[in-house]
Amino acid sequence: MKEKNPRNSFGYRMKRDWIRNRSLYILVLPVLLFYILFHYKPMYGAIIAFKDYTPTLGVSGSPWVGLENFIRFFKSVYFGRLIKNTILLSVYSLAFGFPAPIILALLLNEVRNKHFKNVTQTITYLPHFISLIVVTGMLTDFSMTSGLFNDMIAFFGGERSPLLQNPKLYRTMYVASGIWQQVGWGSIIYLSALAGVDQQLYEAASIDGAGKWKQLLNVTLPGIAPTIIIMLIMRVGQLMSMGYEKTILLYNPSTYDTADIISSYIYRVGLMEQDWSYSTAVGLFNSVINFCLLIVTNKISRKFSETSLW
Amino acid sequence: MRKRTYALLMAAAMAATTVTGCGSSGNGGSGNGGLGSPAGETTTAAAAQASEGNKEGAATAPAEFSYPMAAGDKLQYWCDLTTTVSANYSNLGETPFGQGWQKNTGVEIEFLHPPTGQMKEQFSLILADGNLPDLMEYNWTVDYPGGPEKAIKDNVIMPLNDIFAQYCPNITKYLEENPDIDRMIKTDEGHYYVFPFIRGDENLMNTIGLMLRKDWLDELGMEVPTTIDEWHDVLTAFKDKKGCIAPYSFEYTNGQYLGADPFVAAFGVNRSFYLGSDGTVHFGATEPGFKDYLATMNQWYSEGLIDPDLATLKNDQVSAKITNGQAGASMGQAGSRMGTWTTAARSTTPEFTLVPAPVPTLEKGGQAEMGYIENPFSGRASVAVTTSCKDIERAARLMDWAYGEEGHMFFNFGIEGESYTMVDGYPTYTEAILNNPDGLPVSQAMSAYIRGNYNGPFVQDIRYLEQYYTMEEQRQTPIVWGQCNGAAHTMPPITPTSDESKEFSTIMNEINTYRDEMILKFIFGTESVDNFDTYVKNIENMGLARALEIQNAALDRYNAR
Amino acid sequence: MKIKRSKGEKTFQVFNYVFLSLIIVICFYPVWYVAMASFSNSNLLTQHSGLLFAPAGFSVDAYKKVFQNPMITKGYMNTLFILIVGVIFDLFMTSLGAYFLSRKRVMFKKPIMLFIVFTMFFSGGMIPFYINLKDLHLTNTLWGLIIPFMINTSNLIILRTSFESIPESLIEAAQIDGAGHFRILSTIVLPLSKAMLAVMVLYYGVSIWNSWFWASAILRNREMYPLQIILREILLSNDTSSMTAGTSAMDTEAIGMTIKYATIMVATIPILCVYPFLQKYFTKGTMVGAVKE
Repeated sequence: MKEKNPRNSFGYRMKRDWIRNRSLYILVLPVLLFYILFHYKPMYGAIIAFKDYTPTLGVSGSPWVGLENFIRFFKSVYFGRLIKNTILLSVYSLAFGFPAPIILALLLNEVRNKHFKNVTQTITYLPHFISLIVVTGMLTDFSMTSGLFNDMIAFFGGERSPLLQNPKLYRTMYVASGIWQQVGWGSIIYLSALAGVDQQLYEAASIDGAGKWKQLLNVTLPGIAPTIIIMLIMRVGQLMSMGYEKTILLYNPSTYDTADIISSYIYRVGLMEQDWSYSTAVGLFNSVINFCLLIVTNKISRKFSETSLW
Repeated sequence: MRKRTYALLMAAAMAATTVTGCGSSGNGGSGNGGLGSPAGETTTAAAAQASEGNKEGAATAPAEFSYPMAAGDKLQYWCDLTTTVSANYSNLGETPFGQGWQKNTGVEIEFLHPPTGQMKEQFSLILADGNLPDLMEYNWTVDYPGGPEKAIKDNVIMPLNDIFAQYCPNITKYLEENPDIDRMIKTDEGHYYVFPFIRGDENLMNTIGLMLRKDWLDELGMEVPTTIDEWHDVLTAFKDKKGCIAPYSFEYTNGQYLGADPFVAAFGVNRSFYLGSDGTVHFGATEPGFKDYLATMNQWYSEGLIDPDLATLKNDQVSAKITNGQAGASMGQAGSRMGTWTTAARSTTPEFTLVPAPVPTLEKGGQAEMGYIENPFSGRASVAVTTSCKDIERAARLMDWAYGEEGHMFFNFGIEGESYTMVDGYPTYTEAILNNPDGLPVSQAMSAYIRGNYNGPFVQDIRYLEQYYTMEEQRQTPIVWGQCNGAAHTMPPITPTSDESKEFSTIMNEINTYRDEMILKFIFGTESVDNFDTYVKNIENMGLARALEIQNAALDRYNAR
Repeated sequence: MKIKRSKGEKTFQVFNYVFLSLIIVICFYPVWYVAMASFSNSNLLTQHSGLLFAPAGFSVDAYKKVFQNPMITKGYMNTLFILIVGVIFDLFMTSLGAYFLSRKRVMFKKPIMLFIVFTMFFSGGMIPFYINLKDLHLTNTLWGLIIPFMINTSNLIILRTSFESIPESLIEAAQIDGAGHFRILSTIVLPLSKAMLAVMVLYYGVSIWNSWFWASAILRNREMYPLQIILREILLSNDTSSMTAGTSAMDTEAIGMTIKYATIMVATIPILCVYPFLQKYFTKGTMVGAVKE
């Protein structure tokens, strides 16, 4: 759309493109329709954040209230805590959950016994198939004073305590169970990236007398760096979008202090207290922050590593 | 025979009106003037009576109406499916109760149910989409944000005044005879909004209380505790001598239990709003008594007298602990808890016996002032007709049936000859219910045929309870648990005006979240009880005064009704 | 080729094997515990404390109860329906999108890509999404669990990457032969991407099998509940009472514990069994699909 080419115009190119790719556009039409119907239409519906949504009046008929819902959220006594909890839980999940599969992949890559490697892979994938409902159910059961975790703590001479009632332990439990569930599965992508690293580079390095550690730093990591960066950007972009599902399955009033995050708050306000507009406003705020984070990370990444999402 | 049952029912209803308290119990007798008269053709007689007050009722000719109705539209009916039903049926419509209800009224019903424990969430979503089932069973009085008047203003449900007058002779008659209940089920503006669930007897209103192991008490030479100090001794003995890891354990995640907690009542307060002796509304969780309660609980918790897993306790964990002797005292209903646990535990521990304990007091020999006694109408499980309903007459007649004689028997006792038989004018459950050939527990066998054993839009009959309680200890519960002046402090079903409602629910949502969180922190000791004042200040900053103001104004309006 | 290993390397190898073995144990033991507990005698299990390596007593009562529950069977059927129909729809739609995005020299490819990727980071939120479903009459029907979730954007991107690796010459040759895009997709691209499609089946399959939230939000009829909702009722509402029907009163309460575990097994084993069948393709597929944009 640059001004420089007024003659060989946009319209002309579009026409040519249409002739060439018409059937392709028709092919993609259902996909676009899907995104419009199930992603963009709800985004339009999010205008209820600026309204006092009353179901009988409908989305368009409800009265406007401007930024009232947002202001209410900013003024809420829970605002600070929700932001803090969301960020902390995210950062912990990122700090521990992000490197874990990379490390596992690197370790697996060093295993020479093919059989052992296969077994390890298969078993570490296992928890991924277990549903969140089951994982949280098991976690709740195991954390009881008479549960498996406490049995083990007692075995090692510790004191039994209700683990899921302790706000200090909540984040650990949340992050650790997340890693348990996803570490194997997450390593797949890095394993395949590792397989893609040119073997000649290793040979060259080892001829140069580089030890394993040097090879790791100079060959392996640079080899999988693009994958890592892309994965990282995607993760950071979703930093604030911690899902509510696991939280609402795992928390209770005694752990609200560290457990209550924006999305679980949205869930409570929207579904338990029927404050739909307010709940949507909080969600919208969250989405906007996410989006900004994504853009910023992408910019940074592009500047320093030439890898970016777009 | 018919006459007698009806008289009994009315007597029960009369008893109900006398306990509703608030100093206005004198009207029980006067309202029942017509009681002795033969109630033979109740439906038609009442219908005729109703048509008098109905000016434009000519078209419907209510006097000639009779059940079952002619075929017509299918109605959608949304309600929670209680676990004793979902054990054997995936839908209320599959039960003999559901089938019979449709057959007797001639109305085809499509039953819709939320997942267990997700009722509120689904209710919220159904409202958000505006595409409502015809009839919705819910606690419209308490759980609709902003209250029933707001629900009417939001155009979600219909005011029922005209509908009652036009199509509902049975409930109209019932309300005429029970003005106290009539007052409860209206909004301040005078709108009827639900077909209510009404507990038809005083003994049906205090079904939750403390219970503990009698066999252990005897073995230890102790009495049933009546004061907080005695409770402390008993629980300590359970811990030290009986090896309990959780001497007192109860289903903390159950909101109804939290509201009923006798230990809170012992300190003369309540977790939430209650009616003070001065006639105004109080918020218990910020009062000095509550601090004492928290201090006591904190002490007990640190001494290992309370289940350490308190915050996450669910029914099955409590059940397991009580029945295998890890816990010795608990709280719950006489039927579904005391009865179930006793039967379960006796297979391995034949001497296992639970006895009810009264609301504890601070001083020996006193009587507790507070205590859990429900209103005959609590709002729960009451059915509103939504604005999506097209055939209002059909819906109204379907619901009204339950308040007539035939419907009353059906809802409470089921099908004559199948689930009950008349023995000397007393509806007696059959073996199929009390001793189910397929081995179903009584509660499940009952739930297949009736709603009398849980709730729903009808008047609950005490005669169900008389047969449901099979153990002597269970029969004592109404007396033991009733030893308090709780009824005088139970909040009547007051409602904020629709203008104040949003403000009120916003304030209370914040306060309740904070309170629930802090109570646990105080009990666990993560927050020192010395900080109670800060906690109170925080709640006040959240707007407690304003909330109380709204509540008191609502109370005044209620009293003025 | 044998490389001489230094001492440090050898220590590392030992450490590596030990560490990975530990991870195996951590990943596997909880599952094993649940399996063993489900076969245990409920009374012995409540008294048991500590690790469990074999069932405490042996009993299949819990499984009998689970399979007697009418909701479990219904839940299975519903989940299977959503799973099979869902995966087919998902694959179809995702392939269409991925194929389009993998084509070269298409003018609006980049804007469309942005249009799609944007949705990964920005959403209208729960309530608007729900209201939208209702507007489209997708509530209280199993289709409401299939259609709105047909495309998962990250899967779409992975599949696109895989399609891009197919040699352009093959496609051009087909175009010269007069084949339309749909023909090319179905006769050339898809058969060449079998491995990746297997990965997609697994991705979509697992997420469908394990999803529960929207099911609990949009379904009003218990007959339609998928397995996970039943599971949630049992695990989180701890509603084992609904499963103890027909037990003589004696072990009603105690059996509750083992029923929970048995239900978990019943709801998890099928999806676990799928994996080995797809594993062959799986390793191959992810190689191709390694995210590289």
